[in-house]
Amino acid sequence: MNSASADTFLTTRGATRELGAHVVAACFNRAGSRAAFALGDGTVHLAAPAGAGHWQRVEVHDGAAMALSPDVTADDFCSAGDDGALRRISAAGEALTLFTSGGKWIEHVSSFAEPRGGLLACAVGRQVHLFDAAGARLKSLAHPSTVTGLAFDTRGKRIAASHYNGASLWFAASKSDNPRILEWKGSHIGVAIHPAVEALVTAMQENALHGWRLSDGQHMRMTGYPAKTESMGFTRNGKWLASSGADSIVLWPFFGGGPMGKPPVEIAQIEGIVCTRVACHPRDELVAAGYANGVVLIAQIGTQRVVVLTEGGPAPVSALAWSPDGARLMFGTESGLAALVDLSPR
Amino acid sequence: MSDSLVPVTVLTGFLGAGKTTLLNRILTEQHGNRYAVVINEFGELGVDNDLVVDADEEVFEMNNGCICCTVRGDLIRIINGLMKRARKFDGIIVETTGLANPAPVAQTFFVDEGVRARARLDAIVTVADAANLPARLADSAEASAQIAFADIIILNKLDLVTPEAADAVEARIRAVNPLARIVRATRADVPVETLLHQNAFDLARILEMAPAFLEHDEHGHTEGVYSASFEVKRPIDMHKFQEWMGTLLQEKGGDLLRTKGILHVAGEARRFAFQAVHMMADGDFLETPVGPEEKSRLVFIGRDLNRPQLRRGFEACQVAA
Repeated sequence: MNSASADTFLTTRGATRELGAHVVAACFNRAGSRAAFALGDGTVHLAAPAGAGHWQRVEVHDGAAMALSPDVTADDFCSAGDDGALRRISAAGEALTLFTSGGKWIEHVSSFAEPRGGLLACAVGRQVHLFDAAGARLKSLAHPSTVTGLAFDTRGKRIAASHYNGASLWFAASKSDNPRILEWKGSHIGVAIHPAVEALVTAMQENALHGWRLSDGQHMRMTGYPAKTESMGFTRNGKWLASSGADSIVLWPFFGGGPMGKPPVEIAQIEGIVCTRVACHPRDELVAAGYANGVVLIAQIGTQRVVVLTEGGPAPVSALAWSPDGARLMFGTESGLAALVDLSPR
Repeated sequence: MSDSLVPVTVLTGFLGAGKTTLLNRILTEQHGNRYAVVINEFGELGVDNDLVVDADEEVFEMNNGCICCTVRGDLIRIINGLMKRARKFDGIIVETTGLANPAPVAQTFFVDEGVRARARLDAIVTVADAANLPARLADSAEASAQIAFADIIILNKLDLVTPEAADAVEARIRAVNPLARIVRATRADVPVETLLHQNAFDLARILEMAPAFLEHDEHGHTEGVYSASFEVKRPIDMHKFQEWMGTLLQEKGGDLLRTKGILHVAGEARRFAFQAVHMMADGDFLETPVGPEEKSRLVFIGRDLNRPQLRRGFEACQVAA
């Protein structure tokens, strides 16, 4: 690995802060004009996209933040906490409550934006609540057990929720509230939808992924992980599913008949250190990855070239995200380190 | 065992046994510790506390073909979620509903790596109503399981029974579970510090129980949940023991609620402690050295225990004479 230049990269092209609490989630807004880190002390920290200047600390939750997403709007963010609040945070740092659950944890938030509006979703126990762009509740979708993951498809037509014994796929605009149930026994703990809506994949408690080809319900079993997959995502073109849970980035091929009967490609291995977060580049076949020892790197799928951004520290990487234009990367760790790196050509 | 792991106390007991009274006391008394409490029904507790977590008891079967390998997925999520909080706490208390089988809660601590890395099961505490327990044991498998799984049993509502009746209930408990510590109480008035941070699930604690291992082995019970204890004199061949225990738990794990043992392993200077919850087993060498002429002991708590077979199996694990 090209480690000589490692931490220099972060010092010359990045900005870091010690924020003092577990970084639960991190993302850019849709405009790419602000970056937000949500923390275990209930605060959200807002920074300029390359991290320059003052980072604004906003008290958002009475407890821990549990989820963060770009809002439907260009500039805002949406966060949820174990205080049961779903809040909209403006780029200027004002927080507005959109919804309260009466104390039940809100563990997942997802949004979909389109020119005429968009949809916002959050998971509270077995319920998924859908809101319009103004924050008005449209409907609630009930599931057989607690929802453990949420994902909109790329066109915002469908929303998927993972739970025990499979996943539910709902038409967001449908009047009749009957989901397509994708069944597979066990506890499913996260969900991703293929960009062309060809497949839906869940992560499982048993250190495996499970997938369904949506055209015919064909099962896909992706096993062999030493740890649970906490983070996964498809590349923009849908060719690869990148996943955490091994001591490398595990890439499953979703082309040429795969992933059934095909071995995954493993890149950026750090022997014995579990990859904890992956984030696919919004345009190119690049994957950013964070590891349990704090290492953050970027790997190119085809050439398997790796650029290490930081050699790491004491704590696992717990949040990782690209800016919408793919020019900047942000990450956070369990010990509260937060960083923004500018990767635009100079 | 690392002290950085957050201790988790599981609180079981039938409806009306005094569980809620006890929880309210833990939450309101000045004991200097902060506890996160995972409960099933909000509002039952008359306490406003930011550390009370509302949970749905959600049990799932592990996808490994083992029907008794059930786990509380909600607990995995909650424990991982609580660990992200900035304001730390001293322990987690998990309340189960009256009819719940404690096995999935205990098994959660064997199964999930994330939970194992952050928390440890400190003790399973069962609150029992002294007046009603005999009837519950007779008519409910869950009541037997709650007694069988307990590390600590609070024999509550003693003001409602005669001393003789209390002794009889205690003997009944002992027949099911010879290893638990029994604490007598009225209105759940047990000092909080004697329930939490007990390390009672810890293997090392079994040692303190060792003398009691054989004392309460009642042969009269042939139905329901009961215990069987065995002792062998010659050191144990670890390979043989693992093979025997592995097969035994695989075949009979559904009936074996808890298994605990202290072994003198051939060629080892330290004692080996072993325990299992149904099919999930765990073992480790203890700091304490093996004494001269040290025996090995094993206790099973379960249903349909075939004593002669278990005895022969354990005896066959000894090194050749």
